[in-house]
Amino acid sequence: MRLCVFFSIIFLLAGEIRAQQKIPPDPPGEAKPPAITPTPAPQPDIIAPPAVPLRPNGPIQKSLVRITATEVEPDYRAPWNSGGIQRGVGAGFVIAGDRIMTNAHVVSNARYLTVERDGDPNKYPATVLFVAHDCDLALLKVASPEFFKNMTPLTFGGIPELESTVSAYGYPLGGERMSVTTGIVSRIDFQTYTHSSIDQHLAIQISAQINPGNSGGPVMQDAKVVGVAFQGYSGDVAQGVAYMIPTPVIRRFLKDIEDGRYDRYVDLGITYTKLQNPSQRHALGLKDDDRGVLVGTVIDAGPSAKSLKAGDVLLSIDDHPIASDGTVELDGGRVQMPEVVERKFKGEVVKLDIWRDKSPAKATIELGSVWPYLYLAHAYDVRPRYVVYGGLLFQPLSLDLMEAYQPADIRLRHYYDYFVLEQLYLDHPEVIVLTNILPDPTNTYLAPYRGSIVDEINGKKMRTLDDLAKAFSEKIDRFVVRMIGDGPPLVLDPKEVESARERIKKRYNVVTEQNLEDQPVRSAADPAAP
Amino acid sequence: MNLRLNFVLAAAFLIPIGTFAAVKKEPGPETVVKPKERSLVRVNVTGQPYDYVRPWQKKAPFQKRALGAVLSQGRVLVTADLVANQNYVELERAESGEKMAANVVVVDYEANLALLEPTEKKFLDGLTPLELAHDTVVGDRLAAWQLESTGALVVTVGLVTTIQMTRYPADLGQFLTYRISISMQYRDNSYTVPLVKNNKLAGLLLRFEPRTQVLDAIPAPIIAHFLKDAESQKYRGFPSAGFSFFPTRDPQLRRFAGQTGKPAGVYVTSIEPNMPAAKAGLQVGDIVVGIGKDEIDQNGNYVDPLYGKIEFTNLITARAYAGDILPVNIQRDGKPMQLNLVLEHRDANDFVIPPYNLDRPPLYYVLGGLIFQELSRQYLREWGANWMKDAPQRWVYKDRFQSELYPEGNRRVVVLAQVLPANTTIGYDEIAYLTVKTVNGKEMKSLADLAEAVKQPVDGFIKIETEEDPKQIALEFSQVEAEAAALQQNYGLPSLQRLE
Repeated sequence: MRLCVFFSIIFLLAGEIRAQQKIPPDPPGEAKPPAITPTPAPQPDIIAPPAVPLRPNGPIQKSLVRITATEVEPDYRAPWNSGGIQRGVGAGFVIAGDRIMTNAHVVSNARYLTVERDGDPNKYPATVLFVAHDCDLALLKVASPEFFKNMTPLTFGGIPELESTVSAYGYPLGGERMSVTTGIVSRIDFQTYTHSSIDQHLAIQISAQINPGNSGGPVMQDAKVVGVAFQGYSGDVAQGVAYMIPTPVIRRFLKDIEDGRYDRYVDLGITYTKLQNPSQRHALGLKDDDRGVLVGTVIDAGPSAKSLKAGDVLLSIDDHPIASDGTVELDGGRVQMPEVVERKFKGEVVKLDIWRDKSPAKATIELGSVWPYLYLAHAYDVRPRYVVYGGLLFQPLSLDLMEAYQPADIRLRHYYDYFVLEQLYLDHPEVIVLTNILPDPTNTYLAPYRGSIVDEINGKKMRTLDDLAKAFSEKIDRFVVRMIGDGPPLVLDPKEVESARERIKKRYNVVTEQNLEDQPVRSAADPAAP
Repeated sequence: MNLRLNFVLAAAFLIPIGTFAAVKKEPGPETVVKPKERSLVRVNVTGQPYDYVRPWQKKAPFQKRALGAVLSQGRVLVTADLVANQNYVELERAESGEKMAANVVVVDYEANLALLEPTEKKFLDGLTPLELAHDTVVGDRLAAWQLESTGALVVTVGLVTTIQMTRYPADLGQFLTYRISISMQYRDNSYTVPLVKNNKLAGLLLRFEPRTQVLDAIPAPIIAHFLKDAESQKYRGFPSAGFSFFPTRDPQLRRFAGQTGKPAGVYVTSIEPNMPAAKAGLQVGDIVVGIGKDEIDQNGNYVDPLYGKIEFTNLITARAYAGDILPVNIQRDGKPMQLNLVLEHRDANDFVIPPYNLDRPPLYYVLGGLIFQELSRQYLREWGANWMKDAPQRWVYKDRFQSELYPEGNRRVVVLAQVLPANTTIGYDEIAYLTVKTVNGKEMKSLADLAEAVKQPVDGFIKIETEEDPKQIALEFSQVEAEAAALQQNYGLPSLQRLE
């Protein structure tokens, strides 16, 4: 049993404080490693107290950037609307190649971005070069070459030592002038990155006061960037707890985009459990050598589907022996086994030594991402997919949908909770929900169907929203929509729907009746989708 | 303040005027109270619920108080809630404080009714049995009878605003309910409060919401049904037909189902296996348009001579008895047909995940520190009033959709509920709330299956397969045997299993 954490984490983006009610439990098998042994930071020479204030990090104003983003937040309850327009202020910093690094959440859903620098009254329009929603990082470019004149690109350091002092720079609460706060490195551990809400990577907890507006700002030590401030707890939960994205995650992002494209983190697509029980080890025919973890679920849409099966024991990964508690030794410290995978890129392989049916075997797995997880993550820079037909609003089940509607329906919650673990995506790559009904004489008796999941239309299984849109476009006398479960069929007469169409569009200001673009799962990358 | 009413009551029972502040100001019609004799008896119950989290023990005892309605033949009527998991029931004469032990003669948790009898019948001598008032209709005034600590009667009058079908606490089917608007001072948190019309028993309090002052009552027709059934040799319980339905208000649905004439009836959405509807050949997609001579409209209502329009399920629960033949008129693809359903009571034990389990201890099996149980709603209710949100969501889902997930029925869901840390369970301590598929290769359909299967280890191991991760768990048979006594002693378990 894993504990649900009920803290609310806030993003450090001024003007927009998003509280998250509940962090989903860790996906099984992706346990957090206790710590990564910090690489020793270079020891600064001891110097006499200076006569002038010490500025160990140099003139950060020459590197710091104030970012103003105008965002359009999609409206999942009225997806045809363009959504609410919001403005937020975050920080960023110049790095090599005339690029600006910041958090993905500072620029997500942005329609217009401007950047400002110290001592220059101009606002420069900027655009997003790369964005990585799974690790909350983004790179911006500025068209005007003027902007980077006299700006100093920052360089990256390593993992700072525990208890060492760091300084955070940014524009907390949206102020115009740079703010500096200092604190110490409190903890180095895996954390959920709340921007996507399902990804877990290394994060460093610092005690520096950082607040909305610090997002994307550099955290410095010895004139090097050791992290990017990105999330913290709201004051009513915990104080003096802030997180920064450490440089291994930043470097991985910068390497991933070298080919001009961000490919996301890769995953094995399995769940596993520890193998610490002696009887269980004996039953599996394993030695008492404290090695191996047990594979529970192999996700069909993941890269291990063809190579691993439930009941396999993973003995080593890339020749690192896996301990029975799921840790491996890496760079002189013990980390959780997925850290080996975290460091790799799409298309790279891991070699696994496995124990299958009481004999040794080997597997080589070409790493990739597991698309069904995307439905459990927040989506950005995409418009919600939907179809309105006869005043009935159909939408695919996703985290954003669940947050917008907060459904109490037990079946709906089950389909969301077990979409990946029970591999419900195999039959329903998109779980199509009748989320709302725009009342009209043609649908006045259909209210009880709200919240149901579409199974088939006129006998055809509906696997994606595109299937549904296609089914409704057929010329036929009657649509019989079967929902999952024991409910009655929903029967629609296309002639009546057609006669009501303009009326409903006008009455509810439904500008467009469907959006089938921006499908998070693109069929090419998706072996299970049709 | 209504003087006439005060006078009538005060003359009879000498109650301080102040207690009447809440009484209705309108003139009390004749239907209201003129209680000349006492017909109430206090009921004190000590109960002890079973602890499903530690299934080998009972929870701390609790006391409940109630007012029983004295009926003929020395019987006392109370709600079933009152006597659930009772250890000791005692009757108390309000005027004298004299007490006597009582037995529960019949209890029906679904209709929430129970009959008590004092160990010596003469205990009720001098109390006037209440007759039933069957004819309550909307607009009637009913009096809630409560007792002061002195034994004096407190009468509060309320207005019957609605008579409809609602769900009772056991959450099994719908029953006729009187909804009464009443400004009542609820005394002693009494579990049973009789409602009286013309000195006759019209109902028993089912639930009361002090904030909105709405009282739901178990009506006399349900009480009468219960009493009649209780007279038979073996109490059968309220009948059910075993199908679910949906109104046919939607003309498109009616057309789809083949109905061409006037709108009528309900659309059959699912049929419980092995229940009367299935045995009689009712099918999903049929439209049920009538029962006997009563026609069912497209909302699912028939016209009752007393209540007007009310849901047709009342014709089954209140009017019919298990064993009765119920003529059901249907339309199948537009053609009229008649099916005869032989009604049955569906026992809570006939469900895969029983909806309630009272007066009986939960079953369990402790195997080397792994605690196995059968999934039941009684167990899920351990998560409190909000169990639907707070209990393990997979189990809530299984409970809610049990007939879809286990259409074959006739089984239980065996779960690995929790783990007691012990030498045998090292490394299993994070395991909880798993569903057991097989043990030693045998499918688990009950805890008895499990007890049988563990006796046949495979290569010296007990191998447990679960639906959820880790998917497989193994215990060494010899180690489980060797350490059983120590485990039992260490955790103070009176027994490592209860299978009956």
